Amino acid sequence: MSVTATATLEPSPPAPHGLPPDVYFGEATVGKIGMWIFLLSDAFSFGGLLLAYGILRGGSEVWVHPGEPTLGISFTAFLTFLLICSSVTMVFAVAAAAEGNRKRTMLFLVLTALGGIGFLTGQFHEYFGLFPGGHGLVHEGLILGHSAYASTFYVTTSFHGAHVLTGTIYILITLARTAAGKTNANDVEVLGLFWHFVDLIWILVFTFIYLL
Amino acid sequence: MTEQGHASYKSYWVVFVVLAVLTVLEIAVANRSLGIPRKPVALALITMALSKATLVGLFYMHLKSEKRALKLTVALPFLFPALYAVILIGEAGWRLIR
Repeated sequence: MSVTATATLEPSPPAPHGLPPDVYFGEATVGKIGMWIFLLSDAFSFGGLLLAYGILRGGSEVWVHPGEPTLGISFTAFLTFLLICSSVTMVFAVAAAAEGNRKRTMLFLVLTALGGIGFLTGQFHEYFGLFPGGHGLVHEGLILGHSAYASTFYVTTSFHGAHVLTGTIYILITLARTAAGKTNANDVEVLGLFWHFVDLIWILVFTFIYLL
Repeated sequence: MTEQGHASYKSYWVVFVVLAVLTVLEIAVANRSLGIPRKPVALALITMALSKATLVGLFYMHLKSEKRALKLTVALPFLFPALYAVILIGEAGWRLIR
């Protein structure tokens, strides 16, 4: 073993979570690396869905059939902005947790959860029309199973919606545990990874499904 | 708050502004009534979306400050979906036009 390699293996000060830093992964915790591996596998699920969409669309002469509505950009753009805002509040929650400021962490977790709830409400409104007499996409003739356009749209966006729902529940659980003093900075950071991933995927879904 | 803390708060806001501006740009470019040819529009949209996703990964998910091994663990596998996309979507499009 070279002198340099031995030098890097010298014991370092203990990491905040009590484990010695790894030579290759530094102070990344088992939880953080585990979440990253999960997110990678999840990214491939989304990758598969977006690929199926690209192949079907790239190989079809008519994508939007007569009688089917086109997707509304402005309302979804608002939902996109809402999700970006919730990413900012989440990153502030992670920073507050790293500073050991529990109240501030909880405040930003609440704001992030509200962003998630707002997004889910918006998606429900887009599909079904939230207000009496409101027209959702289903009412306007975009029916799952009737065309590749409709099916790829509903499968991809609802799969993402399921992630927002999961993320929101995950935030609320972490919020309750933080209130009880049972979380540390690492727990909030791992939660943050999941939430930012949900935002990152939406950035791609919004562009590929709505804008292209 | 530490000086480093101030710096990261600043970077979070800068990334937020860039994400918002890129989103507005994307919506503007995607507007079909402007009559811009679809191919350059598609290229611009994909570039902007991938830039936004990269910004979220680097700054909000803190990949920028992780060790090289974790960066590579996350970044390298993404080359494969991109490769499949080029081959498979290209093939579907080719069958349509041939």
